[in-house]
Amino acid sequence: MLGFSAKTISNILFWVTRKKWLILSFLLSISFFYIPTPEGLSSPGHRALIIVLVALILIVTESIPLPAVAILILIMQVILGIVTADELASSFMSDAVFFIMGSLMLAVAIVSQGLDKRLALIVINLTGNKTWRIALGFMFISAILSSFIGEHTVGAMMLPVALTLIRNSGLKLNKASNLSTLLLFSIAYGCAIGSIGTPSGGGRNVIMIGYLSEFGMATISYLEWMKYAYPLLLIEIPVASVILWYTFTPSQRIMDSSVRKLKVKVAKNGSLSSDQTLAIIIFLFIFLCWIFLSQYIGLGIIALCGVFLYLSFGLIEWQQINKNTNWAVILLFGAAISLGIQMRETGAALWVAGKTLHYLQILFQDLEIVRWFTSVVITGLLTNLLSNAATVAVLGPIVLDMGGDPVKVGIMTSIASAFSYLTVVASPTCMIIHSTGLITSNDYLKAGWKLFIISVILLFIITKLYWPLIS
Amino acid sequence: MKILIAISSKEFSGPTLDVGMNISRSLNASTTIVDVGEKINELSTKDVSLANELMDTWNINRPGMDVLEWAYNYLIQNNFITEDNNQRSFKDFILDESTSNRTEIHLDGAKIRKIYLILRNGDIITELREEVRIYNYDLTIIGGSSKRKLAHDFIQYIESSILIVNNFNLKKQYRILLAVNDSKGTPKAIKYGVRVAQAFNIEITLLTVSKNGKLEDNYKKALNRAKKMLRRCAIKSNSIVESGDPVEKILDVAKDDHIIIMGVSSQSPIAKFFTGSKPLNVIEKSKCPILIVK
Repeated sequence: MLGFSAKTISNILFWVTRKKWLILSFLLSISFFYIPTPEGLSSPGHRALIIVLVALILIVTESIPLPAVAILILIMQVILGIVTADELASSFMSDAVFFIMGSLMLAVAIVSQGLDKRLALIVINLTGNKTWRIALGFMFISAILSSFIGEHTVGAMMLPVALTLIRNSGLKLNKASNLSTLLLFSIAYGCAIGSIGTPSGGGRNVIMIGYLSEFGMATISYLEWMKYAYPLLLIEIPVASVILWYTFTPSQRIMDSSVRKLKVKVAKNGSLSSDQTLAIIIFLFIFLCWIFLSQYIGLGIIALCGVFLYLSFGLIEWQQINKNTNWAVILLFGAAISLGIQMRETGAALWVAGKTLHYLQILFQDLEIVRWFTSVVITGLLTNLLSNAATVAVLGPIVLDMGGDPVKVGIMTSIASAFSYLTVVASPTCMIIHSTGLITSNDYLKAGWKLFIISVILLFIITKLYWPLIS
Repeated sequence: MKILIAISSKEFSGPTLDVGMNISRSLNASTTIVDVGEKINELSTKDVSLANELMDTWNINRPGMDVLEWAYNYLIQNNFITEDNNQRSFKDFILDESTSNRTEIHLDGAKIRKIYLILRNGDIITELREEVRIYNYDLTIIGGSSKRKLAHDFIQYIESSILIVNNFNLKKQYRILLAVNDSKGTPKAIKYGVRVAQAFNIEITLLTVSKNGKLEDNYKKALNRAKKMLRRCAIKSNSIVESGDPVEKILDVAKDDHIIIMGVSSQSPIAKFFTGSKPLNVIEKSKCPILIVK
């Protein structure tokens, strides 16, 4: 047919069926390009929004590799004439991207130290052998640790501890039970809850801080952030534990023998090695720098200092960092943040913010509530579709342009992006526990919707009652 | 000869593995057993692989690895491979992750020749197609699926011959149903038929379906060639000539105790994409294993 061999046609067909979203986004972008620019929107702003649309479709459907999406965002900005190549390059790298890069590398360095066995011992000593205490302990440790180290690191380290306990209690690791679901969700939700606590809890917090300072709206210090967010974290731990317990009540109320077996296994590893001690000291040092120096030199630079120290003390090899660092994520967030900045500069963010406020006001009347609804509920829902960091990168400029106190709106949005309870793609930790094959997509919904609603309500109460006291 | 066997779970993959290994042994083929796990979101791939690396240090099987371990033990129990004297367990084998998305388990040391175990993650069609395209398999063996879309995609996009082990019962006595017509695919289908008949030591039924009630010369020629070939290979066979709709006649004759073998449809890929093909219709309705020869 048409001089093509059957094989070629078959290849083309395969490409078309697998890339239908790419083709669709291409067609959409062309048709949006030719519709007249809506009133109140600048022409570059119009084009920036087209890129946002294409990027969103491609990130959600994953029809092309993520690095390709990142590169597409970059080249479209130049080809559509929104920025010059040099301007683009300078908005592509920022302290927030440094931080994402640094924290991904730090995660590899920390995970490779074998501290997970130590962590297991701490958890077990803290909780004893009652199942509910173990689940609560998992949630608590995951939340507290991830608020400082970052959620994906903690998720990876806690997973084998939970799986070992499950296996020791005589359950098969390829069959889901309430016990396995309970423990794994305690980790995932614990990490999500924890990630709101400090700026270093998640890359998206740093993205928000980056936007705030880039737009000249405010600077937030590490401790200030904690003051706003940490109380919510502490309240959410018991709440989430109770919800999980009653949703997935396990038949094993006591895990005596499996705790004992775990202790025996961990005890074999002996005491802390000198390398492990050094690794902990370096992290504590980084943590102190974040608290006291981040206003002056930036969170990202400090994270990179940590990577530098781990590398130069020989605690981690570059090959290992190189292999386990997700460069696609770094590229994607670099590109997404540069697009976010363009959305602001071209006025696109302001236009979308205005439209959103306009239409939502019909629904709610009160401007304050509309702002709150957008930055909390819409962010929370989008997080579960798009993953948490990407949501903040895209929504950040828009919510910050809606008026109100930018610090509060910013932190509120970042916190809401941690309500990643409903889907597998919402956060890396959700994906980690899903990859064990023990958690189905339905399980996320079962406990997730309750926690989502309660979290939204708790956040509302905190912002209305507690935040006015501290600002 | 290279064979790819795709398995998915312990519950359903037993027959697939058994049929696959029997064929592979009789053909002395190089065999790869693959488990395609769920797709991992690209934002999280490295986090998951980091968690997997930690799980190795805790002696916990990675996701998907338990299926391969089961396959390995199955191979040993059924004497498809023999272990070496060291009695190494499955966990001692080295994982090769040099290619992203594809983990290979090095079964070196054990007296295993030409058997490979691999783990892939992603969309099943894309992964199998990729595997077949890069490593040039001649035959892909998969379990049955009730989804028409999946069967459609398998036939359309996997570039090797395909054996769909649908509803296979190890204890049942099967015959082979070889569909013969004048298409280009038939001679190759006959060759495969001979091999499978020899692998399982079973007999062949040749089925020719004419649409208009009388057997045309081309069909007659093809049928005679097939008979000659079977005689030469000393395989017992009978032949049936029917008239009517080929798909219905094949289903009628096959019932549930035949392994159906047919050549790939010679329609253009685009026509197949939109309207399906004879093999696809047979797969959808039959209760038998079916081999489509490409």
